[in-house]
Amino acid sequence: MSTVNPPASAAGRPASLGERLRHIDRSYWVWLLAIAVLVVLVVNPLVRLLLVSFQDADGAFTLANYVSAYGRSRHIDALLNSLTLGLASATLCVIFGVPMAWALSRTDMPFKGLIWISILGTFIIPPYLGAVGWILLAGPNAGWLNRAFMALTGADSGPFNIYSMTGLVLVIACYSFPYVFVFTKSALDLVSSEMEDAANILGAGNLRTTFSITLPLALPAIIGAFILVFLEAIALFGSPALLALPGRFHVVTTQLWQFFEFPPRVGVASAYAMPLLGITILLFWLQRRIISRKGYVSLTGKGGERRPVALGKWRWPMLGFCLAVCTLSFFMPMVVIVQAATAKAWGRGFSLDNFTLENLYFTMFENNLTRDATINTFTYAGGASIIAIVLSLCIAYAVNRNLVGKRLGNTLSFLTMAPFVIPGIVLAIGFYAAYANPPFALYGTAWILVLAFATRFLPIAYTNSSAAIRSINPELEDAVRILGGSRFTAIWRVVMPLLKRSLAGAFILVFIPATRELSAAIFLYSIDTQVLSVLLFDKSDEGNFEMLASIGLILVFITVALILIGFRLMGRDFMLRRTSA
Amino acid sequence: MKLRIRTVFASVCAAFGLAAGTASAQMPEWEAKLYEAAKKEKEFTVYTAHYNTEEAANICAAFEKKYPGVKCNFVRTTAQVAFQRLNQDLQAKRPVASVFSSTDVSHYPALRKMGALMQYKPNNWDKMVDSLKEYSDPEHYSVTTAAALMLITYNTSLVSEADAPKNWPDLLDPKWKDKVSIGHPAFSGYVGTWVVLMRKLYGWEYFEKLEKNNPQIGRSVNDTVTMLNAKERWVAAGPEATTLMSRDKGNPLAVIYPTDGALLMVSPSSVLANAPSPNAGKLYIEFLLSKEAAETQVKNHALSVVKGVAVGPGKKPLEEIKVARPTADEIAKGIPEVKEKFRDTFGI
Repeated sequence: MSTVNPPASAAGRPASLGERLRHIDRSYWVWLLAIAVLVVLVVNPLVRLLLVSFQDADGAFTLANYVSAYGRSRHIDALLNSLTLGLASATLCVIFGVPMAWALSRTDMPFKGLIWISILGTFIIPPYLGAVGWILLAGPNAGWLNRAFMALTGADSGPFNIYSMTGLVLVIACYSFPYVFVFTKSALDLVSSEMEDAANILGAGNLRTTFSITLPLALPAIIGAFILVFLEAIALFGSPALLALPGRFHVVTTQLWQFFEFPPRVGVASAYAMPLLGITILLFWLQRRIISRKGYVSLTGKGGERRPVALGKWRWPMLGFCLAVCTLSFFMPMVVIVQAATAKAWGRGFSLDNFTLENLYFTMFENNLTRDATINTFTYAGGASIIAIVLSLCIAYAVNRNLVGKRLGNTLSFLTMAPFVIPGIVLAIGFYAAYANPPFALYGTAWILVLAFATRFLPIAYTNSSAAIRSINPELEDAVRILGGSRFTAIWRVVMPLLKRSLAGAFILVFIPATRELSAAIFLYSIDTQVLSVLLFDKSDEGNFEMLASIGLILVFITVALILIGFRLMGRDFMLRRTSA
Repeated sequence: MKLRIRTVFASVCAAFGLAAGTASAQMPEWEAKLYEAAKKEKEFTVYTAHYNTEEAANICAAFEKKYPGVKCNFVRTTAQVAFQRLNQDLQAKRPVASVFSSTDVSHYPALRKMGALMQYKPNNWDKMVDSLKEYSDPEHYSVTTAAALMLITYNTSLVSEADAPKNWPDLLDPKWKDKVSIGHPAFSGYVGTWVVLMRKLYGWEYFEKLEKNNPQIGRSVNDTVTMLNAKERWVAAGPEATTLMSRDKGNPLAVIYPTDGALLMVSPSSVLANAPSPNAGKLYIEFLLSKEAAETQVKNHALSVVKGVAVGPGKKPLEEIKVARPTADEIAKGIPEVKEKFRDTFGI
């Protein structure tokens, strides 16, 4: 581990403040600025939440909110359900995502492009839109899968029931596993074949090499992604509202919703959200325990050729697995959504006289609301991604290179990760409480949405940046500095080029969820700042599924198009790149 | 080509100007005055839970056609979200909405207590259907501007008209086990009012028996439309307007007017005390009690709150339908109670 300490004064005597300021690395101001931004985006709203949880309606101190929040067994059950949901979904995400990442990154499996596009598509589908698709596929009475099962076996009823914990876990895993996939893949992309060759030479087979060399090197990324999907699963509102309520159980977010019923009990809601913060702290402590004191540096600058592992006859089973996952998450729900979007009346099912392009045409060209919302959605998502990535990169670098001291570093990474576990509704309330009024007066402006999105997805940007920076050997920068370059030069000329691919990945990972973000948007948007997710959510309780599907389909198409254009502009199709960097 | 477009544009403008001129010439004095004042305010915003997005857009478009020069903006959400937003605005002292239209009648007394509502008796008051007047606030802090029905709905490809339930207790028949769809009173003002009505008519046993039929519980009352279309459920306690709009598209749905009474939902609107555009807000309330607005609403299968507007084809006029509605007090007191009881009985 190489650390760069702030320059001490030459003689080794304690430096005076003025002297220290003069000698201080100029880059310090960047870290200080990043910390200030973090205070605005995370600390202030969180502190407001904490305060509100101890306040009654008149602002006096009270514990009554905690009593209301935890005084009923129904509320505790919801908390336990969320824990089960989070653990099960995150585990399933790893089962789905890691083998696919390995297959696409390290093997000669065929049809990689198809699988990659399907995963991208999966990621873009808003989870609640996917949930609606799954209701049609696996509804206990009329789901297509159940009907197919009954037709094949002659049974009276089908085996699938989407309105259950299992169903909810499956749906959430389907729309969250891309996080695990992208994180793991970008880590695996950096592992050079030479490390695997070393194992091979010592007599290990491909399988053993993969499990004892390749995957362990990607462990920080996999654990980081596991935590992210766990937190995402317990913070989602849309899918549980669609599936858990009819399945007759509550999770934290549906329970939280009830605290916002008239009269809204923000204090109780804040109190109820506090254990989620506790869980986040616990997870990070665990993560540190697991990965500390081991080295994961794989990008050293000393060669590093990457050759695909030849799968031989296992190519096809591997492809089969990838296709199976994509069928569950993308192909089957998309068939349902496309059918609904192009149907005059989707209840009539497939038939040529039921086909129309009118819904799509109307959504795209005749509806000002959709057009404005589309522009807003992509502008805000883009702005939020840039803010989140620049900020998280600064912090990840400062923390990983020990520029700010260990304790402050730990605090910074916790603060950067904390927003993810705060359900969007609660984050929105915190943001509202902190920034609606003067001097900020951001309520009703686009800024409050952009900043809320940036905060909400900061953890994704951070996990990605942190894993990427951790994999770069600090010796590369030391070389620059020994040759007289400043830290900025080192970052600009060495670190950034090496991070280019990870950053593009991080951008996509923030951009896409920001285009489909619902729970914060619904409280912070105003008439001039409509976004597509809110429009979609409105449609979901208007019983107008044809329009809902049309808007969803357009969202998916535009996002795919933008990302493909982005790849083109980046100069090469980096996600599909097979050989050396 | 360019010239032609310009000519067309100019003549369209001229036509509109002319139309506007004649329209305001025909206006009664109070209306012309209000319109002039509203024009100075240029635009206004309404927070509404009364309609779906298309209908809200159609009503705004009709308003702008009748009163050129006054822009109508709307934010359409569910009642709870609209109310939450309004509270946010009030607290931040950044008023956005000039008119508030919720479907949850309990919002109005609460807002009035906060001093957030403006007292305004519309000039078009006399145009309101007489039977609806009793539901409107006698002190005119709010006025009824929308009415619709909640009734029994079913999927015609699964259930024949003869087999369909005829009244509310028919939904308790064991033959509908696993086949009924309803909404949740904590999410939907319609469902909350419906639960209050059922409790009033048949006692809480109604829901204990309904629970044995294992109904599918969605959020909004409109979720029942999705469930019937998906063939996941066969019959439902659903909304007339959304169900019939979906039927118009060709979906296999139909409605039944229960013999013991369809639930009449009336929803009020208020001009807000801190309205950024108070005159435009008042003008909008007047507009909602005009023939143009009523015709737009009737097209979307809502009921007309204005006298003498014909119902859509294939629909019963309000006079021929047996309707039931709890009193305002019963609703305001009952909804919080039944939400809690509903959670106890159904576990969510």
